[in-house]
Amino acid sequence: MVFFILALGGASGAVCRYLLGKAVDACFPKPSFPLSMLFVNLIGSFGLGVFLNINFDGVLPQYLYNDSWFLFLGVGFFGAFTTYSTFSLEAYQLLEKKCYLAFIYYTTLSLIGSFLLFGLGYWMI
Amino acid sequence: MKNILSIAFGAVIGTWLRYLLYIATSPLSFPLGTLFENVSGSFLLGLLTGFFVRKGTKEWLKLGLGVGLCGGFTTFSTFIFDSVLLWSDGYLLKTIIYIGVTFIGGLIFVVAGFVLGQRVGGWSQKRKGNR
Repeated sequence: MVFFILALGGASGAVCRYLLGKAVDACFPKPSFPLSMLFVNLIGSFGLGVFLNINFDGVLPQYLYNDSWFLFLGVGFFGAFTTYSTFSLEAYQLLEKKCYLAFIYYTTLSLIGSFLLFGLGYWMI
Repeated sequence: MKNILSIAFGAVIGTWLRYLLYIATSPLSFPLGTLFENVSGSFLLGLLTGFFVRKGTKEWLKLGLGVGLCGGFTTFSTFIFDSVLLWSDGYLLKTIIYIGVTFIGGLIFVVAGFVLGQRVGGWSQKRKGNR
């Protein structure tokens, strides 16, 4: 059952990432730094914060990984919706193209932005 | 549709592996599982990207392995969540180390993977040409 829940969440998360990424790329055809995965990771971190806030009301259980909703949305959907490998790859590609300013924007906005948005979802809303 | 199914299939495998690694490392007080996933997933994506630069392949296979498997295996949201948990438990130094090692490690391993992938891709392309 656990593996079924994870599969459902993970598959839908990754497909949503792909489709949303394509939509962002279509809206902004030539961004100066990789917008689509920045967008995805920011939304996904915010979404995880909001979900944890609503589902657990600020008090996380000791065994989080026994909770079916956490497995479905936290590990499955938001886990697969957001991605780290593409973040690393795109950051490296900016360095390789000597776009140092874009590298700093991209990595700082991804990291700080995700923290702030996760916190906003988790504590404020 | 073939692309979507391929991504979904890759993501299922990636998510399962991520879950199993997390469970295996959960008794530790440091999110070693997520760290390992994100760094090794970056290596794998670098490897695949480098390989496919040299040696073209079908779009659905590239998407299934890259967007599906690597994308589903690595995660940004859990990385942020782990960091916030460490930080709110008062482990400021551990938080900084976790973020720093993930970030620098991800970059180093994506480059290592990319370079290796290009080599292997170029080598297998040459071998095909000689035949």
